[in-house]
Amino acid sequence: MKLTEFRIGRGHDGPARIGEYIMGTQVYETPALTSACLSDDRFLPYKTIGRAMSHSSEPHLLALPFETSLDALKGEVGDSDSLLLPSLPAFSALGDDAGVLMLKHQLSVIDEIRSHIAPSRVILRVPEEIGPEALASYLKDSHSRGVRAGAFTFDGMLGNSDLNALLSRSHLPLSWLAVALGRIAPGTIPLLYYMGFDLIDIGHAQEAAAKHQRLWHNGAETIRADEHHRYCACTSCQHLEDIGPSEVTDVLLQHNVNVYVSVLSEAIDAMNSGRLRWLVESTTHYSPAHASILRRVDRQAYSFVEEFTPSSGAPVVPLIGPESYNAPAVRRFREYIANRYRPPSGKKVALLLPCSARKPYSDSKSHKRFLETIEASLSGATSQIAQIILTSPLGLVPRELERIYPAANYDIPVTGEWDTEETNLAAEALATHLEKFDSDVVVVAHVSGGYLGIVKTAEHRIAQSIIYTSPEASPTSWESRESLQETLVDLKSILPIRSSRPQELEEIVRATADFQFGPGAGDALVPEGAKLMGKPYRQILCQVQKEQVCSYVADTGLLSLTLGGARRLAPLNRYWVHLDAPSVKGGSIFAVGVRDADQSIRPGDEVIVINSHDEVTAVGRSEMSGREMSELERGRAVSVRHKEEGG
Amino acid sequence: MDTLSEQIRNAVKQASIRARGESIVERPSKSLTRPSAAWTSPSRIGSIQGTALSIVLSSIGCAHARSSEGGCTMCSYLLDGTDKNPTEEEFLLQFQSAMSKLDKHTAPLSVKIYTSGSFLDSDEIPASTRNQMLESISNDDRIKEVVLESRPEYVTDSVLTEVRRILGDRRVELGIGLESSSDIVRSVCINKNFNFRSFADSVNTAKRYSIGTRAYVLLKPPFLTERSALLDAQKTVTDALALGVSTISLNPVNVQRNTLVEDLWEKGKFRPPWLWSVVEVLRHAHRIAEGTINIVCDPVAAGKSRGAHNCGKCDAPILDAIRRFSLDQDVRSLESLACDCRLLWLHVLEHEDISLQTHT
Repeated sequence: MKLTEFRIGRGHDGPARIGEYIMGTQVYETPALTSACLSDDRFLPYKTIGRAMSHSSEPHLLALPFETSLDALKGEVGDSDSLLLPSLPAFSALGDDAGVLMLKHQLSVIDEIRSHIAPSRVILRVPEEIGPEALASYLKDSHSRGVRAGAFTFDGMLGNSDLNALLSRSHLPLSWLAVALGRIAPGTIPLLYYMGFDLIDIGHAQEAAAKHQRLWHNGAETIRADEHHRYCACTSCQHLEDIGPSEVTDVLLQHNVNVYVSVLSEAIDAMNSGRLRWLVESTTHYSPAHASILRRVDRQAYSFVEEFTPSSGAPVVPLIGPESYNAPAVRRFREYIANRYRPPSGKKVALLLPCSARKPYSDSKSHKRFLETIEASLSGATSQIAQIILTSPLGLVPRELERIYPAANYDIPVTGEWDTEETNLAAEALATHLEKFDSDVVVVAHVSGGYLGIVKTAEHRIAQSIIYTSPEASPTSWESRESLQETLVDLKSILPIRSSRPQELEEIVRATADFQFGPGAGDALVPEGAKLMGKPYRQILCQVQKEQVCSYVADTGLLSLTLGGARRLAPLNRYWVHLDAPSVKGGSIFAVGVRDADQSIRPGDEVIVINSHDEVTAVGRSEMSGREMSELERGRAVSVRHKEEGG
Repeated sequence: MDTLSEQIRNAVKQASIRARGESIVERPSKSLTRPSAAWTSPSRIGSIQGTALSIVLSSIGCAHARSSEGGCTMCSYLLDGTDKNPTEEEFLLQFQSAMSKLDKHTAPLSVKIYTSGSFLDSDEIPASTRNQMLESISNDDRIKEVVLESRPEYVTDSVLTEVRRILGDRRVELGIGLESSSDIVRSVCINKNFNFRSFADSVNTAKRYSIGTRAYVLLKPPFLTERSALLDAQKTVTDALALGVSTISLNPVNVQRNTLVEDLWEKGKFRPPWLWSVVEVLRHAHRIAEGTINIVCDPVAAGKSRGAHNCGKCDAPILDAIRRFSLDQDVRSLESLACDCRLLWLHVLEHEDISLQTHT
């Protein structure tokens, strides 16, 4: 049977994904490019019903003009073609309800043609201007009719209209193919892919060629006869020198197409290596418009982008400029620290330290020295000091969490100068953080320069007393460390800080549990009397009543649960995946078998699998977001780590 | 509950009303004794060339445009009119002032009477006033052709009986804005409020009085892609010819003040047609008319951003060719036109259909 179907594959970096668009016997791996017939089988071709010059039999996207009678469909639509539903250009500019009318019209067309064109083969055109509630409701209607694809129009200006299209795309049902049509320059491809577009129109390659423009990944160059132009290594451009004017557009078209292919390939590679966000951020320097649209997306579509941002990623995460301050992985980290982290009890001192270029911080020369100084001052009593590392743009990192993503992975340009926004972000994080400590805790700020600026900015919101040990010189300098040592020695006798059992392993596992699974998880996994073994920089095992509940892996900074651990966490009612079945078969759980899943699950999270009898039956790592597990009908939802045997 | 197509039409109507805004009540007061405009130009009269006088009478304007229907999406000719209707005496002064422009011209002459509405609408131009103007024309032997403009609803037996009686055996044509033969395009894209049937009835009524019809064909109303617009105009030409109209006048949309088209144009959601499209429609018309009737086109604001235009480099020569063809009906003027931007136009034809993105 010939079918049209979009299948989503494994992997995410933001809403970006890979998949397959199946049109009969033809399969396009997505993300894919679409264009007019360029006789190039890498691209999904499109044409307009009744108006096409070519009559090739391969599957096409077919556009149906609004004013064309539906009778014209007969004989024009092949078994494997997909149909772009009719809408009027610019109509939604008439006002709020106009876009709704265009959607209503398309629904009526679906109903009229469904006897010979299955709704799975149509592509709904999402109007340029439409309110989110109305859109969501019509998308739901379309979904229930069987529609599985939506198309959006971009004018390429990266202004309000393009932003609206991106925001509207975030409302598309998760299983739908998302198609970007219009004037799309190569430099916008990473952003469109990041925002979850699966099929992207490269018609602009032809438009630019007709204007004698050669496109590049970050702009365009006009080619004039007898004028110097840039060197290009592509096969097409090898002929640019020795051809007549009539052939120039052909050469330019081929070049432009090559650029699209190359840019998309770079984006796919970046997504596979967890660096797509970085690639998108790097496009913000192509033009101010590129920068502003990403900032607006981060602000207005944060929850959409964050939902599909994996909880772990590339080994090195470059965070280079202001466009990184609100990157989902970064903002989420700040929010988790603010909302999930709880300091261990009994801390007498909160020591603020500067970050280091080397990650994790403890491996850096400067932090080794700080740790030596602490040890020298408080030998045997170090567990009563909370170490808090100030940094941009994560805000702050408690020492216990220094190996978690992205704290262990981020890489920033270090100049010692902080801009107002990053200072404010860190000051906000610090003030919120210190509110969680008792008011008689003494804050020791062993920081200078920009870090000192953070503490000063937050100072009026800090209830505790603050001692500055390094306001003038570098915190790593001998004088500063001497000053820190004196302060800690003084505090030891004044507060006093008594010798106590080291708590490092418990603190790491508890803090990590709270960070991963939310408040209460640390207490559940590491109750009084839990036994911890191992080393912070390798692995920590946690046993409760002789049963192992979890292990902490320093490489990832994350906990892996055992079934016992999962049972202890289950009452918190978070990170659960509810199956239709009584048990798990095989090493993977597929979305089709998931009844429902916690909407706070992100790709890469440790999840607890509950069977149809409401019992914990497995633990594993999520491969998609919780909402995808619930909504998708295909795809790997969970890679199973442990499961109940004999199921 | 309105049907979906009624709701779509209503959205256009409301937007047209909004675009018209206060412009109709704030029309600058004009002299009631001078026409809005009057000019002479070389023109094709039957099968020979002569001079045409075009008169735009200053009246209260088109009833459709003034009404709660909002008027047509691309038209603000209403603004050329006056806020109060001139008296009979004032109308005649306007007319005489315009006619004086013919003093130095020799036969054959053509007189085209436009208002900012319908010349045959007795509420706009009282019947006795209209008849006095026609009498004055009938007294001038140089005038071989008369073109009167009207919406179809005013083309009635009683009015045409009078017109024919007064003008004798002169060639008479009624200019009617058919715009599109597609009822969908005419209602949704233009908000014109009559159907093809009533246009056909007017053509047939006129035929009974040996009065011809000059069908105004609109190229590129809003909400159409360039290719949809081009194909719609070509089909309209074909349909109008089949009805037996006597002239086809092609009117590429230009961006007029206080119109829905202007609103869209300012938002980058409308581009007037390419001159290539104009040429394409004219060639199609010439091909199917086979010289039996005249095909004319004088694009307003052509070559400018508010009118039909190409890339800027080729606009002047192509416009020349269009004007030449309108005069001599020799299609060779329209062949062998060339410019680099033709490729871009071809891309737009293809890509707008797919993307529905306005290629400005």
